[in-house]
Amino acid sequence: MYKLLLSWRYLKTRFIALASIVSVTLGVATLIVVNSVMAGFVDEMKDRLHGILSDIELADPGLGEIPWPDLHVKEIERVVGDDLEAITTIVRVPALLNLKFRERQWTQQIILMGIDEKTYGEVTKFHPFVMNDHKKNEISFKLEEDGYEKKLDHPTFGSVGWPYRRAKAAEKKELERLFGPAASMPRVALPVEETIQADQPADFQLQLADLPSAAPNLNEMAQEAETTSGGLTELSAFDPGSMHRDQLSAEEMFDPERDQYTGIILGLAISNRKYVDADTGETKDAYMIRPGDDVQVTLPTAGPNPSPVSENCTVVDFYSSNMHEYDSSFAFMPLKSMQKLRGMIDPSTGNSTVSAIQIRLKEGADTAAIRDKLIQRFPAEQYPYIIQTWQDTQRPLLSAVNLEVTILNILLFLIIAVAGFGILATFYMIVVEKTKDIGILKALGAPSRGVMSIFLGYGLSLGAVGTGAGILLGLLFVFNINGIAGIVQRITGQEIFDPTIYYFSEIPTIINPTMIVWVAFGAILIAVLASVLPAIRAARMHPVKALRYE
Amino acid sequence: MSSPIKLESNSTFLPTPVEEQTTPNLRIAHPTALRTTGLYKSFGKSNVKVPVLKGVDLDIPTGQFTAIVGQSGSGKSTLLHLLGTLDAPDKGEIWFRDERIDSLPFKRRDQLRNQEFGLIFQFYHLLPELNVLENVLVPKMVELGFWSYFRQKKALKARANELLEMVGMGHRLKHRPSQLSGGEMQRTAIARALISNPSILLADEPTGNLDGQNGEEVMKTLMDLTQSEDLTIVMVTHDDRIAETADHIIRLVDGRVEEPQR
Repeated sequence: MYKLLLSWRYLKTRFIALASIVSVTLGVATLIVVNSVMAGFVDEMKDRLHGILSDIELADPGLGEIPWPDLHVKEIERVVGDDLEAITTIVRVPALLNLKFRERQWTQQIILMGIDEKTYGEVTKFHPFVMNDHKKNEISFKLEEDGYEKKLDHPTFGSVGWPYRRAKAAEKKELERLFGPAASMPRVALPVEETIQADQPADFQLQLADLPSAAPNLNEMAQEAETTSGGLTELSAFDPGSMHRDQLSAEEMFDPERDQYTGIILGLAISNRKYVDADTGETKDAYMIRPGDDVQVTLPTAGPNPSPVSENCTVVDFYSSNMHEYDSSFAFMPLKSMQKLRGMIDPSTGNSTVSAIQIRLKEGADTAAIRDKLIQRFPAEQYPYIIQTWQDTQRPLLSAVNLEVTILNILLFLIIAVAGFGILATFYMIVVEKTKDIGILKALGAPSRGVMSIFLGYGLSLGAVGTGAGILLGLLFVFNINGIAGIVQRITGQEIFDPTIYYFSEIPTIINPTMIVWVAFGAILIAVLASVLPAIRAARMHPVKALRYE
Repeated sequence: MSSPIKLESNSTFLPTPVEEQTTPNLRIAHPTALRTTGLYKSFGKSNVKVPVLKGVDLDIPTGQFTAIVGQSGSGKSTLLHLLGTLDAPDKGEIWFRDERIDSLPFKRRDQLRNQEFGLIFQFYHLLPELNVLENVLVPKMVELGFWSYFRQKKALKARANELLEMVGMGHRLKHRPSQLSGGEMQRTAIARALISNPSILLADEPTGNLDGQNGEEVMKTLMDLTQSEDLTIVMVTHDDRIAETADHIIRLVDGRVEEPQR
């Protein structure tokens, strides 16, 4: 009874001890905040990493090919068994993307993926990342009339999709009619009123003047028509230069007002640039192209002597996984078109090749074990395949993040350990100060253990108070982290959480109750351990010496 | 070493410890409250030992007021600490009734101090964080567990109140020691020493730190209590006037008991 009473009274009358536990409070709060934010980040990151990656991928390295993909698929289905959810084949090659923006050619390096419209979406999360509403349920490489508005509702987009393509083609035709096909002219003050639809915004005229419309260059157009004959919507066999314009009737002629080339879905960051507006300080997007524009891709052919082939494509949608690494490099095309382009189909047998097979497993399946089974079935001595889980693919990143979390936790726990030494010093002083009281208690018959437990109880209560306050503070911080980041940003003028870098609109957080319990347990334990030494000193004190202490 | 000197008033009827065991262990019936034989105690490190008690033999008769007097450094307080089991002698025996208490395990010693001995100190030694009432209740809190203390709380508080009334502190229950005068603190300490109904009150210069009037009041309180509570009092003092009021006087000179004066 006296232990409780005295612990409580010491707690109430020794505010300096409370000051010593502020460090516990801060340590606990920091641990909770850092862990919650890191957990949020890691979770979001893993989600995004996993989203685009399949669970397991069997790939041929470089430009290599996997022959008889159907047989491979069957064999993989057999090896994986019931855990298999979906399987797809892809072609993946490095490629060059050429686009025209403000009359200039821009070429950039991309990774071009040929994907199967039916099965790719079953293996990876592809649908949620495209912009068009009509493409949410099935992968399609057709340009849409509408459905882009929700995600691409942006001031620089007057219209997107077919309306835009038609307007652009009509403008081009009009230019040709007025000034001749070879005319090269300034692109301002054009008689575009007829081509603009009534429901388009008033400022469309001005924007249209800025459109990356193609210059009506006859030579270029002729070349375009030649090289793109294989990219028509019906996807005839790749055979550049075999067709001539004069052999086609007017209906067969490719008309950009009516026809599209092979559809291509571009990573959002390929087509746009984020920048911070100097006046407002807001992050803005500048788009170089939009769905409806045509681009040209150049990729290596398959086989022993790779040579570049080019293909005209129509951008049908953007892809935004919010992983900058992916969004700035990936572009998607139909698998069959890619195979034809690269000459991956044997003309005599009709057999095709692919560059990777991707697998999705059922929920809860042991990914690593199945990967090992596949490695066993396709041993490296015989098959030069790389068989990896999505974690393997992103191992450097994931392990770096894990290491970061571990080191942060160790460092932050050291803060609490430092606080522990603070408590130890304070307690030691309190024990010295209370020497006489200890003597009195012992003289009145209090056993050494009882005296010890006064100070242990004191340490426990201080630890508990500090930890409780720390948890409260930490949770408050986590719940209001975006507001706090905003306030700090306003005060310092420094952007805390730059969306151009992170692609998150908010700081993601996950509060893990187990983590909080462990942090609380650790902090209280440290507080109690710090009070053990002073408590033992108190317990060992000789009553007579303690009573004489001045 | 001098031969053991018995107190004159007790020498005729003092039984041996063996004989004591044959009589029922009754508090009043036992003629000797405390007895020591050949007590030695020295302080200091192993090489430089300063002997304080050099063979003390004495008997403290039950129900009477015994004063231990002597000059500073004669070992009075050390002797009292040994009697109160706060310290252990280097050599010699201490008997409390028929129980040898100089080499008891800590647990039993704590129990004795808590329930059998009431201790009063020169510097009062109240706990500054507790108020008067709580200070008086501390020995009971030490004795009883959490739940049994709570169950008896009402009765204990009533008893503490009664004791504080007796020592004239009934009006200052909620005051902290820092708000009290020396005499008030000492009277509180007396009430605390009595809360467990001890059989022996061991007082170490209870008036040493008080002025004349306060000292007299405290002494009067103590004397009244001896009568009403039927207490054995052992008091260390260097005030001869106080010693005069005692039933017996033990004079310590240079660590030994001098010839008894009465």
